[in-house]
Amino acid sequence: MSSVNRDVREIIRDEHLMRRRILAALEAGPLTIPEIADAVGRPTHEVMFWVMGMRKYGHVTEIKEADDDGFYLYQAVKKEGA
Amino acid sequence: MSGMKYDALVVGGGIGGMESALKLGDMGYKVLLVEKDSSVGGKMILLSKVFPTLDCASCISTPKMGATVHHPNITVLTYSEVESIRRDGAGGFHVQIRRKARFVDEEACTGCRQCEMVCNVAVPDEFNAGLVSRRAAYIPFPQAVPKKAVLERAGTSPCTAACPAGIKAHGYIALVRSGQYEKAFELVCEATPLVGSLGRACYAPCEAECTRGGLEGPVSIRRLKRFIADTHYAKGRGPVDVPPSNGKKVAIVGSGPAGLTAAWHLARKGYEVTIFEAASQPGGMLRLALPPYRLPNEVVDEDVANVTEIGVKIVTDRRVDDLEALRAEGYDAVLLAIGTHQATKLRVPGEDLAGVMRAADFLKAAKLGEELDVAEKRVVVIGGGNVAVDVARTALRHGASAVQVVSLESYEHMPAHPQEIAEAEAEGVTFRDSCGVAWFEGDDAVRGVELMRCVSVYDDKGRFSPQYAEGTVGSLPCDAVVVAAGMRPDSGAFGLPVNASGTVQVDKATLQTSLPHVFAAGDVVLGPSMITSAAGQGRRAAFMIDRWLQGEELDPEAFDGPLPTVDKNAVLARQVTHSELRPHDARENVALAPGEFYEDEETMTEEEALYSASRCLDCGVCSECRECVAICPADCIDLQMKGSEVEAEVGAVILATGFTLFAADAKPQYGFGCYKNVITGMQMDRLLAPTRPYNAVLRPGDGKIPGSIAYVLCTGSRDETVGNPLCSKICCMYSIKQNQLIMGALPLADVTVYYMDIRSVGKGYDEFYEQAKAMGATFVRGRISEITEKEDGNLIVAYEDIDNGGGMAQAEHDLVVLAVGVQPGGDVGRMFPEGGPSLDKYFYVGEADEDLDPGRTDMPGVFVAGAAAGAKDIPDSILHAGAAVAQAAAYLEKAGVTI
Repeated sequence: MSSVNRDVREIIRDEHLMRRRILAALEAGPLTIPEIADAVGRPTHEVMFWVMGMRKYGHVTEIKEADDDGFYLYQAVKKEGA
Repeated sequence: MSGMKYDALVVGGGIGGMESALKLGDMGYKVLLVEKDSSVGGKMILLSKVFPTLDCASCISTPKMGATVHHPNITVLTYSEVESIRRDGAGGFHVQIRRKARFVDEEACTGCRQCEMVCNVAVPDEFNAGLVSRRAAYIPFPQAVPKKAVLERAGTSPCTAACPAGIKAHGYIALVRSGQYEKAFELVCEATPLVGSLGRACYAPCEAECTRGGLEGPVSIRRLKRFIADTHYAKGRGPVDVPPSNGKKVAIVGSGPAGLTAAWHLARKGYEVTIFEAASQPGGMLRLALPPYRLPNEVVDEDVANVTEIGVKIVTDRRVDDLEALRAEGYDAVLLAIGTHQATKLRVPGEDLAGVMRAADFLKAAKLGEELDVAEKRVVVIGGGNVAVDVARTALRHGASAVQVVSLESYEHMPAHPQEIAEAEAEGVTFRDSCGVAWFEGDDAVRGVELMRCVSVYDDKGRFSPQYAEGTVGSLPCDAVVVAAGMRPDSGAFGLPVNASGTVQVDKATLQTSLPHVFAAGDVVLGPSMITSAAGQGRRAAFMIDRWLQGEELDPEAFDGPLPTVDKNAVLARQVTHSELRPHDARENVALAPGEFYEDEETMTEEEALYSASRCLDCGVCSECRECVAICPADCIDLQMKGSEVEAEVGAVILATGFTLFAADAKPQYGFGCYKNVITGMQMDRLLAPTRPYNAVLRPGDGKIPGSIAYVLCTGSRDETVGNPLCSKICCMYSIKQNQLIMGALPLADVTVYYMDIRSVGKGYDEFYEQAKAMGATFVRGRISEITEKEDGNLIVAYEDIDNGGGMAQAEHDLVVLAVGVQPGGDVGRMFPEGGPSLDKYFYVGEADEDLDPGRTDMPGVFVAGAAAGAKDIPDSILHAGAAVAQAAAYLEKAGVTI
């Protein structure tokens, strides 16, 4: 959790860049934010910006129930024709 | 909209402004409401619920928003700013309003959000308090009224503005960043088909202007272009759509960058285009002058094929001298794009000796694979420009034993690109600066060059006029000389007026010559220039030829029309910090031995390209990638849209400019902006709202459901240390509201409120407070001294435990919410350049008498509604707006200034 804070604008600017990497990480199945962070090698708070941006624009969605540790799992949204 | 007349102007479309406008409208007054954002609704529409009723804020806001916008007596201007309000001398006011460009046709937009879904620029979403991204193309929130998209454009990005060819550099960088390489290629093609050539041989004026250049170094924009070109060409060519003919024919003389670019644009408009090329192969200087280590012929072939595959015919080995003959052949218009292929002579003794060559001939022979007689020879190159450096490096590659460049200019002022000079030196080329040629020595063949010291190159007026010191400075022994002392167009045969340099005289804006059907573009107009400049001229010429052939006015304003270039300092100031992202190091393939003709740099890998693109700062915000234009089903995106000025006459003014929230990072001991799980009350309201940025109430730090949430009341209010001694009135109650909502959403969560005292004054407010306590919220009396962050993101709150003896205590929480106070909003003083209503000592709009005369300012005809006059909750804002409306109506009737 403790990591150097990048400017929020800079983190958010990376959303398009990180989208493919996050979707690649989700190909094996749904993951929590800390698991996605591990997969892409970036801090959890940055991954939150990207995953929630991707959720807002329809690239990922959450699984209804959170896990026992209090984390939701996120999965890629299957696109039409994909 | 000049000259509009209204009974009243309402400034601000929040709850106070909407209520004021609706009440006045219902009374029959004509009202103009001006809102700076793209939707009315203010802050209320962003809330989860309202206290103490827990009504849905959206549910009770949206009817008022709709009623305001659709009221027959109310005109609403959203995305507009009041520039000035001045007394008009007749009891009313003259108002100037700036309507900011939405870049979207408001009438045609259906609010479908498709532009938003394809937009390639992500920025913080201010409507979600920065918790998530939005796009440069956006609709602010789902209930926006009017529900119309906006493109956020701060100006033209410096890279895009710097490109003479008009390539949207920022756009293709953004497309690369999102992995859309093919679309990036297509975007470059919107300006020129020479994607591969420019990706290798452009001197990249875009990079010189890149804002990132003020940090660690510019984005490698040219190499990104090369990456997208190489990626595209590697896939091979597929079928293309050839545009249907419009029945008109255009002849283009010359197949260099200007000719090819013009042909590309004209053919895409349906013209039958034929290019006549004097050389045996098309490409002009791209093919005949640029050395293969900079631009291989295979790349030129690919770029030329872009043009020919859409139907452009290229006739090679056909020199054109007779423009009338082309007319007779049925061409409706002609473009001269012959470049500069005639070498400038030095006019010194010995220039005609064997072994003295012209740069153009030398480079052409090298490019066409012909034998160059320089192996094992000492070569002297005369000239200080890029061509001279190209010759020198080419000679080395063909086995010259030594190569020396002689330039008139001093080393520092040589016109060659510094990068080219550095690479030439790295390969072994030496430079002799500030020297001119007195004569060439030799009997039949050149043996040496006698030099003289050049003391100045240009005269006082900047004209080329080299001056030399007396005598000579010695001889350079050599076996071959290549003169690269300038080029000029071979334009004499056309019978058109030319300049002293041989360039054809044209109207600079339209590129039309003295013969109306003949246009000229590229180096034949500019003199020797960059590829990108010539390509830009080709694009402009095509635009003008099209207009001329369609019988339209040759209006230079119709060609492009970029926004002003964005201020780089303003771009850098958008961020508090910038991570250090070093540019990817490019050049690696310096030729070390004769015969090494491979390219001097490699194309980027995909990872390198993505990294390089991620360094872009999105200066203009919108990148002009045009994806929104392509997808919009209503065809309503207009990137050329300009803002406008509106003037109105009004009888009275109601200021309803609302409030701003305290900037939580001004209390650094609370860690906002530093600790990821410290948020503001507005951020929590967004997390609790139906249109929330997350799927649930989660920690921003890691997405965990918080089990223990702390509230810190009076953050930035009742606090002299931050200059705000006032109670903000709403923080206690919105915190209590959120406590109840959290306990509903997260039944297992503990909520602790740290407070000095709870101010729950109002109908049902205290009961609401008691209800929160009964639901399980814990209220701890005590100021927070400091918050620190643990490794796992939890927060340690240090506080004064007043109810238990006043000692210091600590508690650990998953999430801390700062109940930030409110501050005056709106820049009221700026709106009244000739003096406006007084502000009170806290900088809210002052009321003449808050107790007995609410809503009236000390400026006759100007009233204040809602939180612009001081902190208020929603019911009080509505009540206060009612008071302001009553005051305004009374004024209008008494003063007799209604329309």
